[in-house]
Amino acid sequence: MRISRRLLSAAASASTANPSEIAFFSRLSQQWWDESGEFAFLHRMNPVRVGYIRDKILATIEDEAPTPAQGRETVRALGPRPLAGLDILDVGCGGGLLCESLARLGGRTLGIDASSSNVAIATLHASQDPRLSGSTPSSNERPQPLEYKHTTSEELLASGASRPQFDVVCSMEVLEHVDHPDKFLRSCADLVKPGGHLFLSTISRTPLSQFLTITMAENILGLVSRGTHDHTKYVKPSELVQFFSDELGWIRRPSNGSPGNLPFDQAELRGMAYLPWAGKWILSPRGAPMELDCNYLFWARKPKTPQ
Amino acid sequence: MTLILGPCCRQHARRFFTASKPTVWTARSFATEVPSSVEEFDVVIVGGGPAGLALATALASSKPILDTTSIALIEAGDLARVRNWSQPSGTFSNRVSSITNISQGFLDSIGAWAHVENSRVAKLEDMQVWDGLSDARIEFSASELRSLSGSGRVPQIAHMTENLNLQRGLLHRLNDFPSVKLLDNVKVDDIKAEEGDKGGWPTLKLSDGKTLRTRLLVGADGFNSPVKKYAGIRTYGWAYDTHAVVATMFHSPPFPGTPLTAYQRFLPTGPIAFLPLSDTAASLVWSTKPHLAAALKATHPDMINAAFRLPDTSMKVLYDVLLDTKSQVTPEEMAETIRWREESHGIAPLSSLSSIEAGGSAAVGGYGGEADMPPLVTAIQPGSVAGFPLRLSHAEVYIGEGAGARTALVGDAAHTIHPLAGQGLNMGLADVQALSKCIENAVQLGADIGSRTALLPYPRARYFENHKLLSATDKLHKLYETTFPPVVWARSAGLEVINELESVKSVLMMNAGRGGEASSLWDVAAAGVEGVSRAVHSAEAVARGVGNLGMALIQNALRK
Ligand SMILES: Cc1cc2nc3c(=O)[nH]c(=O)nc-3n(C[C@H](O)[C@H](O)[C@H](O)COP(=O)(O)OP(=O)(O)OC[C@H]3O[C@@H](n4cnc5c(N)ncnc54)[C@H](O)[C@@H]3O)c2cc1C
Repeated sequence: MRISRRLLSAAASASTANPSEIAFFSRLSQQWWDESGEFAFLHRMNPVRVGYIRDKILATIEDEAPTPAQGRETVRALGPRPLAGLDILDVGCGGGLLCESLARLGGRTLGIDASSSNVAIATLHASQDPRLSGSTPSSNERPQPLEYKHTTSEELLASGASRPQFDVVCSMEVLEHVDHPDKFLRSCADLVKPGGHLFLSTISRTPLSQFLTITMAENILGLVSRGTHDHTKYVKPSELVQFFSDELGWIRRPSNGSPGNLPFDQAELRGMAYLPWAGKWILSPRGAPMELDCNYLFWARKPKTPQ
Repeated sequence: MTLILGPCCRQHARRFFTASKPTVWTARSFATEVPSSVEEFDVVIVGGGPAGLALATALASSKPILDTTSIALIEAGDLARVRNWSQPSGTFSNRVSSITNISQGFLDSIGAWAHVENSRVAKLEDMQVWDGLSDARIEFSASELRSLSGSGRVPQIAHMTENLNLQRGLLHRLNDFPSVKLLDNVKVDDIKAEEGDKGGWPTLKLSDGKTLRTRLLVGADGFNSPVKKYAGIRTYGWAYDTHAVVATMFHSPPFPGTPLTAYQRFLPTGPIAFLPLSDTAASLVWSTKPHLAAALKATHPDMINAAFRLPDTSMKVLYDVLLDTKSQVTPEEMAETIRWREESHGIAPLSSLSSIEAGGSAAVGGYGGEADMPPLVTAIQPGSVAGFPLRLSHAEVYIGEGAGARTALVGDAAHTIHPLAGQGLNMGLADVQALSKCIENAVQLGADIGSRTALLPYPRARYFENHKLLSATDKLHKLYETTFPPVVWARSAGLEVINELESVKSVLMMNAGRGGEASSLWDVAAAGVEGVSRAVHSAEAVARGVGNLGMALIQNALRK
């Protein structure tokens, strides 16, 4: 019952804004696109996240095709634009790292961020790329629609009569920074169309993650600025699963209660690990020791009909 | 075991912040007006040599890349001349390369090998390499290659062909991809990073007044690479005090059934190689001191024949005759000198060691008689003699950073190597294969293919591989260059050991196998060369220690 208490207590707190955190990240946003700088790890992690999102969506298309052959054909026809035709929302888009990739893969992408300087940086960066800005399409391809908006998921949800609904909602490395995870997750979930996908990546609350993300990364190696992380805000995979099954009704409770054993067509948890000798992130092999103890991805499918 | 490391990432910022008035930003709101004269590309390749053309072909033949990526190639020379190149059969261009089986497999996979004119390709089945001082000899044959790699039949060690045949084949394959822009007869005059907030993308000024802006700029522009200069990438290395003289040589046909064989003799001035192109023609690559190379440009077949056969002491005499500016030697006088040197070494006029073609017996004696020596060269194709300075060089990195970001180097722009192992072009093709694979993966992940993150797998795949090859070839060059007796001793002893050691054989048969075998073969080879060079160092040390007497004893003992 731990998550409920945690979420409830967070919701009970009076303030919903956290100005000190916003100021902190605005300073960092200049460095967003420096691939060797503070965000180097994030740049390296991005291909794994994009690959996971792409593969999950393609697998769903294949699974739901009338025949396997038709599924393969649909996927083949999508070619290098596997996300074509999908409306995608990235909540907490930062400098636009994930958004740019999703847009190049064909998704109609909207990135939102609560920090206006992040949104400015992301917009500026995309404007330098003719494939994203459509300034001079020297190729045969139509430029990708990519938009950024200075707003929050709650505001987006509340804005306008036509509730925005997205085929895919992503929020990467955000959950561990929010003050009210329950509200936050609910708003993300509400922005997903029935039958759509939600992707999250975050850090679990374990001694290992405390050691790696705070002791090592902030204090010893100085890979990221001190104060980037607050361990108490980290969310465990089991807490996420519980929220999406008990609170939102998206997932059947895993038969044996283990978060690693989710119904394959409803949700999945995958660990991510950094291989220093290869200089890259990978999806941890399923069942690897401590697979979900630090960085992990969570995918869930919204039921097609309300539960 | 995988190490799990904390990411430390935070994409920041909070959702519960109340934005006063939500603004929609699109990239258009910022889009700086790019002057209409600026053409935008995703990839611009500078250089239409073998590496640049292969890269354009490899990128275009990948569907995911072609569907998402605009490609341009800039070449200072006239590509139409390469595309329409033809040469009377039986004659050959003097720029020839041995294409390893791995390279050939790659060219096949990008649809280019089918356009390489088969009748101008020679399949190398055998290789003879020996030391000019000790005569210690190693032989490789394609049949050994089979047992070495342990899998499947490999009918040839390598394919010998003219660079032009390869470049023409690549251009013909590029005809299939009209969207690839080939800009030839035009030079890159200047490259600048965009200033201000436009992202610092490389912008090229061409000699015809055009301006190109590109996401990724690839330097396939040879040793003096303008792209390398733009990227601020430094180069390590040095010029060898050596030039390579190349020429197309003619000779009588061999006995039917003789395997097509390459010959390389290591002289103290550098190796001389005979690389077969057909039954009656071969390419010469004679690496030697620059002043000799200059004199050899007016060379005569007898001199080449002698260089494969005469003992080094006599070669020195011939060099002196050649360099004697006061008395211009005629070919006849040279032949006479060679004949006299042979007699003094007790070489019979009709033996395979005789350099002078015996009149009237061309069919048999003219071939040299035995397979351990190359056929006697009877003539040199007019206009085919040329010289190239040789150098070892390696760019310190393959992808640019900071102000030189969005750049990558391939081929001779990234590295130049002594031709003794015939690897320069093959290394360039391996670069091209790795870079195009890296771009294909990046495109499928929606990455910005000019970004460092997207390009990083390329140097990871190639830098160390190339470094091993460069340093091993450099060591071989130095090993054979010396006349210092203990080193010669170690060398001949080493060579005889080498003869048993498959590892060192693969130095010269690099990448002769198929697919993934290459690197493992090479690792063994590199270890072998390290071993030999250590042996040389200890031989030098021993010699200094024991002095001349000890050295004489060692040598006597070795002679038995
Ligand atoms: C004697 C000799 C023998 C060799 N034998 C072998 C062998 O047996 N096997 C082997 O694998 N390799 C061999 N090599 C090496 C091989 O020839 C080279 O590695 C190969 O040709 C390099 O190809 P490249 O495309 O990288 O560069 P290059 O062939 O040098 O091409 C560079 C191109 O860039 C163009 N360029 C440069 N600057 C500009 C500019 N500013 N604007 C526009 N265009 C520009 C040039 O016009 C040129 O066409 C040999 C080399 C030598 C010297």
